[in-house]
Amino acid sequence: MSNIIGIVNYGVAGNIHSIKKAIVAAGGSVLVIDKPEQFNDVDKIVLPGVGSFKDAMQELENGCLLDSLSSNKKPILGICLGMQVLSTIGFEYGKTRGLNFIEAEVKPILVDAKIPHMGFNTLEVLESSELLNGIENKEFYFMHSFEVVNYKNVISLTDYNGHKFVSSIQNNNIYGVQFHPEKSRKAGIKLFENFINIGIS
Amino acid sequence: MTVRIIAKLDVKPPYVVKPVHFEGLRKMGLPSQMAKKYYDQGADEVMYIDIVSSLYQRDIIFEEIEKTANELFIPFSVGGAIRSIDDISKLFHIGADKVAINTYAVQKDPTLINKAAEIFGNQAIVINIEAKRIDNHWECYTDCGRVQSGKDVLEWAIEVERRGAGEILIQSVDKDGRNRGFDLELSKKIVDSVDIPVVVASGAGSLKDIKEVIEYAKPSGVAIASLLHYGKVTIGDIKKYLKANNIKVSK
Repeated sequence: MSNIIGIVNYGVAGNIHSIKKAIVAAGGSVLVIDKPEQFNDVDKIVLPGVGSFKDAMQELENGCLLDSLSSNKKPILGICLGMQVLSTIGFEYGKTRGLNFIEAEVKPILVDAKIPHMGFNTLEVLESSELLNGIENKEFYFMHSFEVVNYKNVISLTDYNGHKFVSSIQNNNIYGVQFHPEKSRKAGIKLFENFINIGIS
Repeated sequence: MTVRIIAKLDVKPPYVVKPVHFEGLRKMGLPSQMAKKYYDQGADEVMYIDIVSSLYQRDIIFEEIEKTANELFIPFSVGGAIRSIDDISKLFHIGADKVAINTYAVQKDPTLINKAAEIFGNQAIVINIEAKRIDNHWECYTDCGRVQSGKDVLEWAIEVERRGAGEILIQSVDKDGRNRGFDLELSKKIVDSVDIPVVVASGAGSLKDIKEVIEYAKPSGVAIASLLHYGKVTIGDIKKYLKANNIKVSK
């Protein structure tokens, strides 16, 4: 069985280089997706993203990738902004409809502390998920000013100065992480390895 | 939340150099090799600052930056001689996660900060401030403490935050390379003046100096250069010491 990880390349995918490198380090094969028909050539999808929710949705549409992504049935891993756009709706620069794979809203982090939340922080796991299997030190690198607000599909929370926010989500084969596994040393590479191995063995 | 321990590489391409009080330079090694060493020691981030290209009005040298990025699975910030959106775009393309802007924003056009933050997100834009104490205040300098700007450091810090910077790196022209401790007052004033994360640099001469600045100023990160380059301590030593002193650091 083939097992190719597609990384969606759109206007806000500035971190694609690092993600590709980390997936390769985790033993995966990568195809960068620039055109809608390429979704057929991959087995799983990674949705990166740095920038704003509104720009991300706009860029997916500009790249003609939105429809193929919305109707996709393959496993998806959204990273940072890529996780946020899996939600129903986002409130960054106005109200923008998201991909709606996860019933949630994206709002500014409500905390009395420095924003962006930037640095290594720990996951408090609520639900076991194959995505986090075998990762002993659950410290990951965060770099964000918005958070996903929801009450379902939460697999971990993270505490920032007394405020707990959703740091990873899963709805069937849709996964999202607020942190950057590609910037989180061995723990991040192990997470990619877990994603690569989902549905295999 | 953990305090970030950041390895800072001051580069005169192609070598990491050790500036002594922002003047004389000593070659320390290649950026890619040193970055890998600090990554293996457990650094939370690596910063690569080209300290000469801006002054000599040279272009950014991308090759060694890309090589360095390829060694890392932690965030990588790059600064020095950044003058345009095109420069920034190229740096992200070869693996930088953040860019640190100084001279161009201070001397030429501060709206580069606004434009960059809008395009790349504020988390990706670091403003590097070189502060020199003059009487009762600090003034912004550029080009490794060589060029005076007339701008007040605290006012500039607030301005860059308003323009969309996501982080400030504060360096002290007076303390840099002297290994006699940080400018504690400056560090605290900056941290207290803005709502974005602040990384403090310049002056670490011992583990105690690092602990002191964290306890006094509560920065989001501490950038260490010569203390690491001379092999006096490792990132592991720093983290162990801070942990023993009840300061939270990543494992």
